[in-house]
Amino acid sequence: MTKEEQIKIINDAIIQTKTSLKPLGYNLLFWGILIISMSLFHYFFPELVQFSNYSSLVYWIAIPVIGMIYTTYYNIKTGHKIGYETQLGRVVKIIWAVFGLSWLLHVAISLIKGINSPTLEILFSLAIALVMTGLIIKFKNITIGGLLLLAFVVYNHVSPGLNFLLMNVYGIAFGMLIPGISLYRFKETK
Amino acid sequence: MDKLLLNPIRLKIISSLLGVSSCDFNHLQKVTESSKGNLSVQLKKLEESNYISISKSFKNNYPNTSCSITKLGSKRFEEFFKSLMSLRK
Repeated sequence: MTKEEQIKIINDAIIQTKTSLKPLGYNLLFWGILIISMSLFHYFFPELVQFSNYSSLVYWIAIPVIGMIYTTYYNIKTGHKIGYETQLGRVVKIIWAVFGLSWLLHVAISLIKGINSPTLEILFSLAIALVMTGLIIKFKNITIGGLLLLAFVVYNHVSPGLNFLLMNVYGIAFGMLIPGISLYRFKETK
Repeated sequence: MDKLLLNPIRLKIISSLLGVSSCDFNHLQKVTESSKGNLSVQLKKLEESNYISISKSFKNNYPNTSCSITKLGSKRFEEFFKSLMSLRK
């Protein structure tokens, strides 16, 4: 075997175990569509979502938890199908697991303290997770989406009168849905 | 040069495991384009030399073999690659 053949073997093997970005794109798309749909439904039909003291809380906890179970199942299934886990993929997975945990903690703390809605705190954590993901995988659209979401959160602190549901729609659309679409449609080249 | 890595199948295995935290048997078979028996033999040789670690588990009731590169394996590959590049110059 010549040196060139050995280098080709190494190169080909590395190429065949590259990080697949499609599952991450699918996750962002799924959560983008889910949160925007939930926010819009809540905005247009508040009487249905807020028919009792705890109904909106159940609405904002139960559906995302189902979403979490579904995406966890999807990610495990996709991982089995791909057959390997890259270091990069592992780092991104840990970031999103930490975000999921922080989301649960924000909800739990707001329940204990009797805070009306932890939307801003959740969006802040989400923006940080997006910026980190974008920088790690070197995908500008996600980094920009995360920064835009961060700007929405900061803007809300300056102008506190904004509607949380509409802010959710704008923030998630720019932070998750649009970057998710571009990542999902991104053609992975060798 | 490391004689263990002069074998193309073993070189493919080590190269595949470089950037991953774990990789299953089926994917390695796809990358190496070798038979199950041959791949098992080469994996065993690499494991015996502490270049890789192998863990066996069950996935959907089917046995699953997962491999990952060790620190020694990474170091040996790095040395191998450096000597390969120096010989190429």
